[in-house]
Amino acid sequence: MTPRDRPPDHGHWATGYQTHVRYAFVPEIAKPERKVQFREKLLWTAITLFVFLVCCQIPLFGILSSDSADPFYWLRVIMASNRGTLMELGINPIVTSSLIMQVLAGAKIIEVGDSPKERALFNGAQKLFGIIMTAGQAIAYMLTGMYGNPSDLGTGICALIVIQLVIAGVIVMLLDELLQKGYGLGSGISLFIATNICETIVWKSFSPATINTGRGTEFEGAVIALFHLLATRSDKVRALREALYRNNLPNMMNLFATIFVFCIVIYFQGFRVDLPIKSARYRGQTTSYPIKLFYTSNMPIILQSALVSNFYVISQMLSLRFRDNIFINLLGRWENYEGGGPARAYPVGGLCYYLSPPDTTAHIISDPMHAVCYIVFMLTSCAVFSKLWIDISGSSAKDVAKQLKEQQMVMRGHREKSMIHELNRYIPTAAAFGGLCIGALSVLADFMGAIGSGTGILLAVSIIYQYFETFVKEQSEQGGMSTMLF
Amino acid sequence: MPTSPSSTSVGSGRAAAGGKSPVKGASGVRQRKPTGGGAGGAAPRVGSAGAATSWRFFTEDSPGFKVEPVPVLVMSIIYIVAIFLLHLWGKYSRG
Repeated sequence: MTPRDRPPDHGHWATGYQTHVRYAFVPEIAKPERKVQFREKLLWTAITLFVFLVCCQIPLFGILSSDSADPFYWLRVIMASNRGTLMELGINPIVTSSLIMQVLAGAKIIEVGDSPKERALFNGAQKLFGIIMTAGQAIAYMLTGMYGNPSDLGTGICALIVIQLVIAGVIVMLLDELLQKGYGLGSGISLFIATNICETIVWKSFSPATINTGRGTEFEGAVIALFHLLATRSDKVRALREALYRNNLPNMMNLFATIFVFCIVIYFQGFRVDLPIKSARYRGQTTSYPIKLFYTSNMPIILQSALVSNFYVISQMLSLRFRDNIFINLLGRWENYEGGGPARAYPVGGLCYYLSPPDTTAHIISDPMHAVCYIVFMLTSCAVFSKLWIDISGSSAKDVAKQLKEQQMVMRGHREKSMIHELNRYIPTAAAFGGLCIGALSVLADFMGAIGSGTGILLAVSIIYQYFETFVKEQSEQGGMSTMLF
Repeated sequence: MPTSPSSTSVGSGRAAAGGKSPVKGASGVRQRKPTGGGAGGAAPRVGSAGAATSWRFFTEDSPGFKVEPVPVLVMSIIYIVAIFLLHLWGKYSRG
């Protein structure tokens, strides 16, 4: 090994000699010593979910107000956060910090070697950065006066709020790690995202909350409202139309759109190119290497929404402080919206406006420029992020070829060099085109008004599909479904 | 000879070949468990398509003190109860 291949241990911020001291207080879940049974995995997954859901309901201690317009409305669904509760930050700090670290490592700004020790240090650094990020965001939230004016709250309560949020962040991190280390199924982060989105969908369909609109009291939930309107209104046709197309609250068309998008995404999940490969050692042993259309799955959407939502937050904070600055207004102008549902801020001008999905079909027609900008942005960003992700995650043609070589497999009629070439024909295309499709589906879902936003529903579906695949895999490892559950 | 994809799988092929492989077959972080021969007629899945799709951050060992899962659970429950008590205390001390 040449000295160039191996970065020196000292003078490197993540891999110093003293790092074991620095990371000594970062908690870490021990790996399971034996194989965890499927039922036990289910149990741990359920427990994790339970803790998360309880945390989503308990309000933070010491906050004065949380009824002003919600500045982080856009983040909530995707980042599994709930306003004014212990899960105020949700998984946002963890995801953001991990993304930053992964992108830095992928872009070779931080060099991470292949040795387990270096990877371990990188992981420790990532976690530490996550905790710091949690503290930073908690302090930022508190200082912006989200929970009441800091001077009214007093120093003690302010500190208490920050401590509550940081501990909650550490708990989320540990729960996520618990599942990932093999005690449970999948990862905590995706479980929490999917749960939050499904919760939103169920709530928007069946919510019994009533809201007083101009035309009398209406139920918030689409299905409940349908029956309520049909039962109470004398003109049944108009009642039906109202239930299907009402503007301010979730309607039945939104619900149908959600189901439709769900089905389409599941259908597209099956699209793939099968490359024939055979064993280099044993004759006649052939199989296929599938390259899925959604090669990078939901990663482009996650990356894209993390980027956009952080951008929104920055723009919003700036526009609160410097309302009249022309550059800040070019970035985004925000207004508060108080119709049905929770109060929230939404962009009305500037760059943020053109990056946000149009609200209604009428809006698309009245401002087609907005819709076009949004579509172009979504498609290109998803395609670009998807292509980036194959390099970051180590699933590019080169890595796949290396892996196949490790497994003693070759592509039929190709040598190793030409194998990379052949894989290169498919993988970047699949990644870019798959990202494009994901973006297009998300736009489609937004335009049809699917509940929980296009990005949200896409995330939920792909996570549920991943869980389904995990289930099938576990099932094949441990025998039939019946032995698994009973 | 064209074999149907469900009859063999790459994973088991590697497991059979792994023992005497001259290449460093046993040293990979990316080694996969042998999958059973195409469960339920599903096509065998290989490869790092899994690495691309998964949303994992903390899979590998990192420095820091180790905790078992049960203490984590106990800790979160203690935390939740503590917040509960704080709320109760806040309510009665104020009014």
